[in-house]
Amino acid sequence: MTATITTGAAARSPHAADGSRVFLRQTWAMSKRSILAIARQPALVAPSLIFPLFFAALGASSFSKATNLPGFPKVDSFLSFALAGSIVQGVLFGSVTGGAALAIDIEDGFFDRLLASPTSRVGILLGRLAGAAAFGAFQALFFTLVLIPFGVRIASGPVGLAVIVASGGITGIAIGGFTAALALKTGSSEAVQGSFPLLFVAMFFSSAFFPRQTMQGVYRRIADLNPISYLVEGIRGLIVDGFDTVYVAQAIVVPIAIGVASIALALRMLSSRLAAR
Amino acid sequence: MIASASQKSPIVARGLVRHFGDVKAVDGVDLEVHAGEIFGFLGPNGAGKSTTVRMLTTLLKPTAGTATVAGFDVVKQADSVRRSIGVALQDAAIDPLMTGNELLELQSVLYGIPAGSVRQRADELLERVGLTAAADRRVGTYSGGMRRRLDLALSLIHQPTVLFLDEPTTGLDPMSRITLWEEVRRLNSEGTTVLLTTQYLEEADQLADRVAIIDHGVIVQQGTPTELKAAVGAPTLLITVSASQAEQATSTLSRFGELRPTAEGSLGVGLVGGARQVTDVVRALDEAGVSVHHLELNEPSLDDVFAEATGHRLEGAGASSSNDDDVSPAAEDGSEPTRGRRGRRRSR
Repeated sequence: MTATITTGAAARSPHAADGSRVFLRQTWAMSKRSILAIARQPALVAPSLIFPLFFAALGASSFSKATNLPGFPKVDSFLSFALAGSIVQGVLFGSVTGGAALAIDIEDGFFDRLLASPTSRVGILLGRLAGAAAFGAFQALFFTLVLIPFGVRIASGPVGLAVIVASGGITGIAIGGFTAALALKTGSSEAVQGSFPLLFVAMFFSSAFFPRQTMQGVYRRIADLNPISYLVEGIRGLIVDGFDTVYVAQAIVVPIAIGVASIALALRMLSSRLAAR
Repeated sequence: MIASASQKSPIVARGLVRHFGDVKAVDGVDLEVHAGEIFGFLGPNGAGKSTTVRMLTTLLKPTAGTATVAGFDVVKQADSVRRSIGVALQDAAIDPLMTGNELLELQSVLYGIPAGSVRQRADELLERVGLTAAADRRVGTYSGGMRRRLDLALSLIHQPTVLFLDEPTTGLDPMSRITLWEEVRRLNSEGTTVLLTTQYLEEADQLADRVAIIDHGVIVQQGTPTELKAAVGAPTLLITVSASQAEQATSTLSRFGELRPTAEGSLGVGLVGGARQVTDVVRALDEAGVSVHHLELNEPSLDDVFAEATGHRLEGAGASSSNDDDVSPAAEDGSEPTRGRRGRRRSR
């Protein structure tokens, strides 16, 4: 059984323009709350900023000679290669935190406060995802700026950097959609946090840590099917090779496609949760 | 339009039922709350109070029955209901990371209040609940009483005509409780209809114009506190004796009137003759060789009304498990345990 999800704004006003304005205002208010929560809990978000850098540093110290392997892209430093993986890894971490925050809203009753108001149900979800987008974009910029002093150069220049930052934001929505769906399905922050290993495995079987050209067997076949590989390679191409529309398409279109699927799933879970009441 | 539609009875429920699997949390509740009154919904934990409120506030769909709030059907016109009512739920779910001001602004947006009016309305409400000085502090630093007052302010942001307060004073110290009572009275005197659930007899007695007593999902008594207490009749004589003499004491007491349910460890009897009969009872107990440790004569209370209607007492029944009211909606699909969640402080 499913419930129809209407935007409260649309129901409230006979004028579509007014309804859209109210809907956007409510969604923005919810986004602002998500962003505030991130800014006010540095201890909670620090791991998603520190661990990817730690892995990048570890990789640079341990695998720097791997850049000489056949199939490895020509890079000035291993960090230039690792940055794309770090961005996706950080966004993945952050999205789990965002999903868990939605689950905590459900556990603690804040979600009920929202549902008791005439606000748009979709806006509640989109607000959360907009917060994830803002954090994803920030992470992409943060990792890049931190690694530049250590030899990373963005070959595609400022325009490429803007695409990378946008890609981080869209990826935040894409992965955030899955964690939000899990939060809405289970209403359990523990369950959302427990999904991290699954997401990490999905990333591990991609080209986030090594180029697909250096892989073999099942690992390679999975990486070939894994959309994260194409996302990472798009961002990596912009960092290592320069500006290319194929890289832009990979960095932007792949997370959009994942996002369409994950948001559809999250909306379905929201609908089921409302219908179960 | 809302006012005219709901002029007579802003809250009407007919045969309201809610099942969670095999559990009948609410089993045919009929109630009618008149415009401008404070209606007390009294019952122990798990009686069905919160489930009823959640149905009336559109957070749960009834399994059967109908209800209108502010003149709107809670199922078919849920969005109109939400715009007409203020709700302060049992768990005062307030984001601890946000400030009072930020929460009021968020709530204003959720209710579609024009941006130009938000600041003024928020300031008015903060002043009203005595939180102006704390408005820019994060809610995580508020005391329980401050949170409840902020919760009340949030529920009033859109000037609702009907207000639902689900156990608004549970867990509060006596002073905070009295402050909240005063505010509820003030709101009511300004014309707001209030439905208040409580497990505190004194709260229902002090605040409510009329009371419905609910137990096991069924309303067992309904009326004004005065009417209900008068219907019980005689005052209750409570005595405490040693366990070995309880049987003898019971037998003796039964000669003077109807035995009444009491808290464990004491015995009670309704004395039609009131204080004049106490001497006779004490003499009879003495002649029967019963040694009385404690004795008191109580005028009928809502607890007596509750005991008369249900066969057990409310007083002291749920103090230790005040978080466990009712079954959560999501228990139905087994997706989430939400019992006893109050008091958890977690990251968001």
